[in-house]
Parts: sequence; C-alpha cells; structure tokens
Amino acid sequence: MVKVTIDTQEYMVDESGTILDAARSNGIDIPTLCHDEQLEPFGSCWLCVVEVEGERRPLVPACATKIREGMVITTKSELILNARRLCLELLLSDHYGDCLPPCQAACPAGVRVKDYIDLIRDGKYQEAVEVIKENNPLPAVCGRVCVRPCELACRRNLVDEPVAIDFLKRFVADLEMGDSLQSTVYSPQSMDGKRVALVGAGPASLSCAYYLAGMGYGCTIFEALPEAGGMLRYGIPEYRLPKDVLDKEIASICGHGVEIRCNTALGRDFSIDSLMNDGFEAVFVGIGAHGSYRLGVDNDGSDGVLSAVDFLRDMGLNKEIKLKGRVAVIGGGNSAIDAARTSLRLGADEVMLVYRRSRAEMPANEIEINEAEHEGIKYHFLTAPVRVIAENNRVQGIECIKMELGEPDASGRRAPVPVQGSEFTIDVETVIAAIGQFPETACLAGEQDVQLGRGKTIVVANNMAVGRAGVFAAGDAVSGASTAIEAIAGGKRAALAIDQYLRGEVSSEKLLKEFNVSKGSLDEVDRGEFEGIEKQARVKMPELEITERLKGFDEVELGLSQTDASLEADRCLKCGCNAVDKCYLRSYGIEYGVSLDKFKDGKVHHYLIDNSNPAILRDPNKCIRCGRCVRICLEIKGIGALGFVNRGFETTIEPTFGKPLAETGCDSCGKCAASCPTGALEFSQV
Amino acid sequence: MQKARIIVGLGSCGIASGGRKVYEQLQQGIASRGLDLTLEETGCIGMCYNEVLVDVVIAAGTTTYKQVTPEMADRILDEHIVEGRIIQEWTVTEEDEKCLNRQQRIVLRNCGKISPESIDEYIEQGGYRAIERVAKEMSPEMVIDEITRSGLRGRGGAGFPTGVKWGFANKSAGDKKYFICNADEGDPGAFMDRSVLEGDPHSVIEGMLIGGYAIGANHGYIYVRAEYPLAIKRLKIAIEQAKARGFIGQNIFESGFSFELEIKEGAGAFVCGEETALIASIEGSRGMPRLRPPFPAISGLYGKPTNINNVETLANIPWIIFNGAGKYASFGTEKSKGTKVFALAGKIQRGGLVEVPMGMSLREVIFDIGGGTSGKHEFKAVQLGGPSGGCIPSSLLDTPVDYDSISQTGAIMGSGGMVVMDNTTCMVDIARFFLNFTQNESCGKCTFCRIGTRRMLEILERIVAGKGVDGDIELLEELAENIRRTSLCGLGQTAPNPVLTTLKYFRDEYEAHIKQRRCSAKACKELISFAIIDERCKGCGLCIKVCPTGAITGEKKKLHVLDADKCVRCGQCVAKCRLEAIIRVDRW
Ligand SMILES: Cc1cc2nc3c(=O)[nH]c(=O)nc-3n(C[C@H](O)[C@H](O)[C@H](O)COP(=O)(O)O)c2cc1C
Ligand code: SF4
Ligand code: SF4
Ligand code: SF4
Repeated sequence: MVKVTIDTQEYMVDESGTILDAARSNGIDIPTLCHDEQLEPFGSCWLCVVEVEGERRPLVPACATKIREGMVITTKSELILNARRLCLELLLSDHYGDCLPPCQAACPAGVRVKDYIDLIRDGKYQEAVEVIKENNPLPAVCGRVCVRPCELACRRNLVDEPVAIDFLKRFVADLEMGDSLQSTVYSPQSMDGKRVALVGAGPASLSCAYYLAGMGYGCTIFEALPEAGGMLRYGIPEYRLPKDVLDKEIASICGHGVEIRCNTALGRDFSIDSLMNDGFEAVFVGIGAHGSYRLGVDNDGSDGVLSAVDFLRDMGLNKEIKLKGRVAVIGGGNSAIDAARTSLRLGADEVMLVYRRSRAEMPANEIEINEAEHEGIKYHFLTAPVRVIAENNRVQGIECIKMELGEPDASGRRAPVPVQGSEFTIDVETVIAAIGQFPETACLAGEQDVQLGRGKTIVVANNMAVGRAGVFAAGDAVSGASTAIEAIAGGKRAALAIDQYLRGEVSSEKLLKEFNVSKGSLDEVDRGEFEGIEKQARVKMPELEITERLKGFDEVELGLSQTDASLEADRCLKCGCNAVDKCYLRSYGIEYGVSLDKFKDGKVHHYLIDNSNPAILRDPNKCIRCGRCVRICLEIKGIGALGFVNRGFETTIEPTFGKPLAETGCDSCGKCAASCPTGALEFSQV
Repeated sequence: MQKARIIVGLGSCGIASGGRKVYEQLQQGIASRGLDLTLEETGCIGMCYNEVLVDVVIAAGTTTYKQVTPEMADRILDEHIVEGRIIQEWTVTEEDEKCLNRQQRIVLRNCGKISPESIDEYIEQGGYRAIERVAKEMSPEMVIDEITRSGLRGRGGAGFPTGVKWGFANKSAGDKKYFICNADEGDPGAFMDRSVLEGDPHSVIEGMLIGGYAIGANHGYIYVRAEYPLAIKRLKIAIEQAKARGFIGQNIFESGFSFELEIKEGAGAFVCGEETALIASIEGSRGMPRLRPPFPAISGLYGKPTNINNVETLANIPWIIFNGAGKYASFGTEKSKGTKVFALAGKIQRGGLVEVPMGMSLREVIFDIGGGTSGKHEFKAVQLGGPSGGCIPSSLLDTPVDYDSISQTGAIMGSGGMVVMDNTTCMVDIARFFLNFTQNESCGKCTFCRIGTRRMLEILERIVAGKGVDGDIELLEELAENIRRTSLCGLGQTAPNPVLTTLKYFRDEYEAHIKQRRCSAKACKELISFAIIDERCKGCGLCIKVCPTGAITGEKKKLHVLDADKCVRCGQCVAKCRLEAIIRVDRW
C-alpha cells in the first residue's frame, strides 16, 4: 500500500494499480471510454486526464499512469474539465446517429413515440397509454388536435409517408377513455400537504397540475370561464374535438386529485397575494392568449366584423349564433380555418379565406387546409384587406388588394408587398378576423414582479419562473398563441420546476431539452439508409361524408380500427439508438454539458451500417475508435476479427480485410458489443 | 602515377538533376576517346542546388564542375582531360567553396567524397577502425561512457542523450536485445538520413555495430522507408561487403561479439518513425504508437530490450570513438554538442544539406551559408523541424541553433528541416499546409490528434478562403493547447506547433484574413485578384498563351486586359510575364 492524495484527501491505495484504480476504489469517479478492466490500458480517448503535481506533462491519463507513493492528484480542475469537455465535443462532432427517435426529439413534450408505437404493435395498449402520459396527460385531445411536429420529422417520410403517429395515439387514448382499458392506478405520495394554485384551466395548467398531483402536491385550478379546457374548449370546434372527449380527459385529470374551480377570475375574485395568503406555496399562471388583434383598417369596428377568438368562444359557450350570407375570414392560421369551417356549419352561404401570403406560407396544418377546401371553403391567397365597406355601421363588403412576395423578413418568410392598383371588392355580410392573439393581461395589472415582454407575453426564466418567487408560468401566456402540445410541454416543465422550488433545490438540467445527437433534418440525412425499405401506404383515417359533416358539428375523423392501428404501428422504422441508455458518450456528454454545435461545419463521416451478422449490429457511424472491440477480439478471444484501418481522420474500425463481419472469424460471442461504450456495436434486436 | 578519376554526384538529388545521363554520356565519351581513367559515383555533398556535380581528379588537383549537363560532358573530357585546361566558367565558385568551408562535416564527412558502394574507400577514410578499437580494447561501459561524455543527443527529433539511452538498454536484463536504426525519415523536406545512407552507408552500419556492442544486442534492424530505393540498394551492398569482411557476423574481430543485421522496409507512414509504432511495424502490426512506459529499453521489439537510434545519430558514433569524446564536445554549445545537419529548402539561394556546429546562428546558416532568399523578396520566416516544428520570424534570426534555444522560440530542432520563406508566403497558409500533413498522418488512435487536428485544419481552411469568423483564433488556440496536452505520441503533441508559432509571431495575418479578408502575402487565392498595369504591358501575349481560362485578351503589341470574372487566379500569367505587368491585388 502507498499513501497518495486525491483531490486534497489522503488515501492508502494498492501500489500495483493506476491512478484510475486508486480513484475508483475510493469512490472517486474519473470518466473513461477506451478503458476496459479486462484489457491493458490503451490510452486513446484521453477522457480520463488528471493533474499530478510535479509531472512533466500538465495532464496525464489516469488509466495508464501507475500510482506512486506520495502522488498528489487532482481529478477535477478547470484545465481537466475543459479538456474532457472538448474531448467529448470532438468525438460527438463526428458521430452520425440519432440518440432519440426523431419523432420524440421533435415532440415539444418529448413523448416517447417509438416506444408507444412499439407497444401498440404488440397489443399492449394499456402500457402504450402509460408511456404517452409520462409526458402528455391529454392523449385523446392531442390525438385529435395536435399539429404533429413528430410526423414532419418522421424518418418514414424518406420512404413513403410519415407514420400516422397521431392517429395511433388517439387510437389507444380512445380505448382507455372508452373504459376498455383499466385506467392507470394512481397513488400520490404526500408532499406534506403542500398546495399549488394554477390560474386558468387550459392545457398548460392541466398538464402542470397532473404532474404536480402525481408528485403528491395538492392542486387547485382557478378558471374564469364556466368550464375547464381553455382554448381546447373555447377555441377548437366540436367537429375536431368533441366536448365529451375533452370532458372525459379533464375528468381523468381531476380523478388524480386535481380540483378545478370555474367562474373564478384572477384580478376579480383573487390575486396572487391572496392565493399565497390562502396557503398556496406556489402559483402557476396559465392564462393563455385570449386577446385578439383588430384588423386595423377603416370600419373594422362595424357590426358584422368579429374576431375568431370571440366567435369560437361564443360557440364554446353554446351561444346562439346565426350566420347568413357570405363570410370572409382573414388570416392563415389554425384559428382562421376553424372559424371558416365553423361558419360553414352554421349555415353561411359561402365562406372565403383571405390570406396575404401564398398557400405554402400558411401556418395552419396542411391537413386542415385541405379539409377546409374539401368542404367548400374558397381561398384568396396573396390578398390583404384594405378597408371594410360598411353602411350604417353594418358590413357590406371588404376591399382587398393583391400582394406579391418580396424579400424574406425576420421570420424567414417572404414578406408580402401590395401590388399597386390591384384593389378589388368582395361582397360579404360577415368578416372574421383571425390575424393574431395575445395574452389578456389586464388581470395581472395589480401584480408585482410579473414582467411582460413582446406581444404582452409573460417573461419567464429557463425554469419557467416569473420574477416573483414561487410564481411560474407557461403555455400561450408565455409563448403567445401556440399549440396545445407546446402548452402541455411547458406545463410539465413548470411542474418539475415547481417541485424543485418547493423542495428548495436549485433548478437543474432536468428542465432542459433532452440531450440528443441527431442525424439532422430530413434533408440532411443519408437517404441511402432508406433505399432498401419496402413501401407501405399510410392508413387512411375514416371520415364523415361531406354532406353529413356540414349538417352540424359531429366529429369528422372517426378513429382507426384495431387492424389498421396494428398495420400502421408496423410501419414504424424504430429509429433512435438502441444504446441510448447505456451509451457512455451520451451520459458523459450530458454530465459535462457539451455543446453539440461547436464544430457544426466540420466533416462528419457517413458509413454503411453492417447488419451481416444476425447477432451483432455494426454501425460505424457511432464508433469513437476506442479500440475496445479490436483488443477484446484479439487479446481475449484470440480471433482478431476487427482492426483499425486508414489513417488520420479517416481511421475506422473494420472487420479484417474489409469484409462484412459475418465473413470474418467472428464467432458472434458478443464480447465486443458488450464492451463497446457507444451504440456502434450492438446486439441485434430480434 | 595515379589514374585520373571522374566522380559524378549520384545521390538522389544528383539523379533527380539528371546525373545518370551525365554519367552515361561520360562513359560513352571515355570509351569513344579511348581514355584511360576511372569513372566513379558518389553521394550527395550537400550542394544540391549545384547538382549535377562532377569532380575531375588529376595529378594537378581536384576540380569540381557544377550544374553539369550531358551536353557539357564532352567538352569536359576534351578540354580538361585531354588538353589539361580547366573550364573556369563551369566550376563551383569561391562562394560555393566558402559555404562548404564554413561547415563542420562530421556526419557528412565522407558524403560526396567516397564511393558509397566501395567498402575499401570507406576503410581508407578510417572506416571500421572504431569498431575494431571498441571490440578489441573497450568494455561496453567504456563505450557508453565515451558517448555520454561526447554529449551526443539523438538526432531523430527528441534530442535524448544517446549515451544515457544506451546505458538503460545495457542495464536492462534480457536474453536477447535488439538495436534498431530509425531510417524512416518521414518529415517532408528532410533528407539528411537519405543522403547519409546513399552517400556513406558504412558509417551507419559501423555506428550500429558499436551500439550493439555497447548494449549487448546481437541483432539489428535498419527500418528504412520503401520510398528510398537507392538507399536500400546501397545499404544492401554495404551489408554484404561488411559481412564478407567479417565486420558483421560471428565473433567480430575475435572479440566474441556477434551481430546480425537486417533491413526492414517501411510502408512510409510518418508515424512509423515514432519508436513504438516502428517496433509494432517490424512485428507486423499496424504502426500505431503505444503508451510508454514501458520504454523500448525495457520492453521493445518482441518484448525484448531494444535501443533505437536515428541514422544521423549513428553516423556520428564512429567519428566520436575514432576522434574522442573531447574532440566532439569541442563543437557546439554547453547543452548541445557536436554538429547538426540541416536541409535548407524553400525560398533559399543555395538549397541543400549543410552541416554546422551547434550554436551557429540561424542568420549565419541561412544567409552566410545558404546565401539568403532566392528571389528579390525579403526574408520573412524560417520553418524549423518540419510539420512538428514552428515558424521563426526574422526578428529571431540571431537565435543559435541548439536544442534549447530553438525550443524557446516555439519551434523544435526536429530532424533538421529548414524551410525558408519570403514575404510572398502566407503564414496562415503555411500553418494550414503543415497541419494538413500531420492530420493526414495521425495514426488515428487519440481523440485529439485524430479529430482535433482535423477541426483545426477546417478552421484554417476557412480562414484562408476568407470565410473565417470571430472566435476562430480562440478556437484554434483552445484546440491546439489541448491537442498538445492530450496526445499520446510526439506527432499529436507537436502537430499544433506550426499554428501556435504563426499565431505567436504573425497573429496580425490571421486577423487580417478574418476581419478584412486580406492576405498580406497575396498568396491566398480567394482573397486576391490579378490586375494588369497598363504602363508596363507591352502586349507580348505570353500571358494569353498560359491562361487556362482565356481570361486575358488583347492584340499583339497592344495593351492586354484581364477579365476578373473569368480569372481562376492560378497565377501562371504572373509567373510568365517578364515585365511584371500583372500583379496581385487585394480582392476585397
Ligand atoms: C511522429 C514521429 C515521427 C518520428 N519519425 C522519426 C524518423 O523518421 N526518424 C527518426 O530517427 N526518428 C523519428 N522519430 C523519433 C523516434 O521516435 C525516436 O525518438 C528516435 O528514433 C530515437 O533516435 P535518436 O535518439 O537517435 O534521436 C519520430 C517521432 C515521432 C513522434
Ligand atoms: S419511423 Fe417510427 S421511430 Fe422513426 S421517426 Fe417515424 S415514428 Fe419515430
Ligand atoms: S465499435 Fe469498437 S472502437 Fe468503435 S466505439 Fe465500439 S468498441 Fe470502440
Ligand atoms: S498522438 Fe496521434 S499519431 Fe500519436 S498515437 Fe495519438 S493519434 Fe496516433
């Protein structure tokens, strides 16, 4: 035994070992990638660097440096941490793979899409719903209204069409709601009776409350309107999201111990102070974005000019609304489409949608745009209103001007510019403005330390905290009008932050977006990988006939059959890395807070994946050249099926003589895959 | 009376300059004239810029002709040999002689003087006398002591004291030991080892014999790159000759000492010159450095105690034994004894090999011996130590060439490459050039060396292309420092040196590239345009002929015009124009 000092602490350690042995045997962690206890030190990754007093070199590899009596070792310093971080950043800069399936990475709430599709394929519906609810407590709602960033990112786009992710989600969520599944058994831990108040009962608050309740907090939601749901109820028409679906999903959240008090408004019935005085230890503000911009042209206050928000809210309030004659909806977002399709169902003779850019620039969902057209909505693209024509303060028509697209603006979209002299008039009786929303912040007027930013949105820190201690916010109130899934994601993030706050912890990495190496967008990935995959058409969602649709507000989309759902689930390519949970490159990357774009313009290798060996999948794109496989195979097995080839940046690990693994001396023992610190060598998942 | 002799310089440089043709022409001329004289060949004497060199040795004395072509051969025979008249205008000048005389030739003592394929000529110069003395009169410890006292340090780059190294191998216990000569010489621009092997192979063999005796090795390898066919050929001849004389084999000089010697041809990877990679390569594995310790002296080739020395190091050994450690140590500085061979190249008047005592200033080497820059442009910097070394600016020209002073500048002595640059050389581009070399040659083992150098290269590439961004210099520095600190072998540890030294001495050039998209040397293609100066152009049309894209137009004897859009900035017109009417200008 010899005496050494590690990070100012003295230890007696075995004199035959290395610095790494000495540190690890005393519970001090030093990261390694190329080191394998079965093998001699190799010294290639250089992640294990430490400082040793009196050494000639400022950093030495812990795995290969013999321990000596009296050594004074530092395992953490600025110099060391920077070197390790840079090491990981370099390795990751030439690491072509998807940690997470792109669908999951694209989902704002990080729903484990591939996993639940997998479960659906295996008929494990209950488990599938549970997986979804880990990140999204409103699957039946989202299965209907989500804008589906996952499907845009789905790698299956490169084969034929994206997997119908959202339909599948709805399929299992409906099963659960229809009581054919047993609802998740719920057993909240007690958080010593700590209570949280949530303002507004939209998706952000519902999500936040659901997860807080799951952690054992008492949650009370205060809602100004008569019923819960926020824009899900008062913004989305029934034919897209039936109220009973919404009701059931909200009821299920309440079933987890969340209390909702309706007709109770912030600023009128209570204040944040009063909540705090009433014993709530944290307050979540999820008031949404219910204010709407006026058209800003002459006569935009005349009778017959409505805002889409008001119009759709009145629908949600079950008010009697009569529409006749011709209707012009101004705007290109989902609210515009909702207002237009609703108008049609209310009996309007003709509904037009006026949008100042072209179809391609419309922010609304493509499916929605098509469905609306299908139902008979007429589009006036590249058209902007210049004046409402009114007589006796009653709308007669609308004067428009043609636009053309100019240079891209700050948002990257090409800005429309008017074409001089192209004015024309459309005769209409009703004009519905759907040109933008903002949070109605009058209710916050008396509140201190709640800062408002662009578009009257509430300013929050990374952890969704508002200036005032214990107050958090998310959803449209923070982002401006956005999507349900963004609100749900924000709500969950806020729940985690509130938990940390109430536990007195500092806000942590947990709140940040999950670490993810990505092959890039669909344009960036290597298409060759998808060439061999057989095409298989995406399922069609059964829909209500047009004539039936326009008779009322029955749901248009009818849901998938079990057979279709299974078939569709089978289309999933199971993207993402199988090694995601055991990969050291990833876990160290997270631990050392690496930047994934430090060398983003540098060359990245793309190699063919070798699946010739049925037991071992070899994906050189993820290899970090640590040589563990090479050494295991040679030194332990005596086979030498793998070796280093080429030099410099082009160095790779290849089976001998460049053959596929199956044609070497490999006996499929799997020792290499077991040792590989990344997903470059994996047991095939069969 | 001795027969007249004609000796043709047939080192690789002589051959490259057409030496074989000169040799053949002389051969024919001698035959057709029925002359009675011997025609011989020799290695490189170091005046590579003057090749083909031909020595005529007659009773009246020795005359050296320079830059001889086959056409000149007959006149030399007719006038000099037949009529006894020296052709003064073709001989090497006094200047040339002076350069040679300022040198101190120990390593190159026989190069260009004796026939490398004749063991007798080597023996005539005192060859194999050192091993004889060693074998007959000295114990291994005495040999090691002599070498240690000489102060000789390894010439392979690291500068480790040779005697100390031999001492380790000598003390290391083992039933079998190996002695390896490192003749991989992968440093582009260095060719002293090749010259020694081509010009005086026996001196290296004798050095190995002495070393083998000193450490107790009976088996030697010369690891020489396959791209040196002439060196290999002459080594083979030399080994056969030495075997025939009993200098290699059993019981050498009846001392009981036996030594076998083999040649191993290397595949030519730069990193195979690193000792542990070299050993792996001889063993038949991939040339990849491994962790040290254990050092080769403890566990080297096939796990046995092994000593590795460089060619130049070994060529010094017989001289030291023969002339004594004290004599050797009388040359050089306190910590760097003896001489060092440099390969002068780049924008230098008299390029070639020079051997000077350690401690001579860079200025003397470059200006007094090398004659300064070759063109009319001013001296800017000198790159020492090849891709592992660094650029030393003109302000440090008085730095003495010894291990420690050179290291202090940020460069390294390395194997002795000296590339002279004038102010038409862009220092960012030079750094890019060297880094490109090392990043390609990395064995790929270490993260920083494999990927880090590549990322540095990419940054340099975008800087010379005028696409550098703020923060690039800092990123280069961050990478460079970490690559230095966290690479296993010397290749990675020194790879950032060209970048670090140019950043140290020429940071403004980096900044100008990034911030103003300007290359002060007007060398970076993306940052310059070409322009015709009207007053100078006489309309000769030479430029039109060489321009590959037809960017220059104009009638004969009329002013020519250059279409900047068509111009691909290859620079051929500039090189061709005799009136300097086409110039490089800043593009941005
Ligand atoms: C990348 C690299 C390349 C090297 N190349 C050579 C070489 O070509 N010739 C050489 O003699 N030494 C070379 N060396 C140095 C050798 O490792 C070793 O130090 C040297 O051969 C020892 O001989 P010496 O003590 O006589 O200098 C190289 C080292 C490194 C790191
Ligand atoms: S194919 Fe499957 S795993 Fe891949 S992106 Fe699409 S849904 Fe996700
Ligand atoms: S494939 Fe081999 S060399 Fe590459 S990361 Fe895995 S174990 Fe290391
Ligand atoms: S420093 Fe470079 S050349 Fe040397 S062992 Fe590491 S990767 Fe190979």
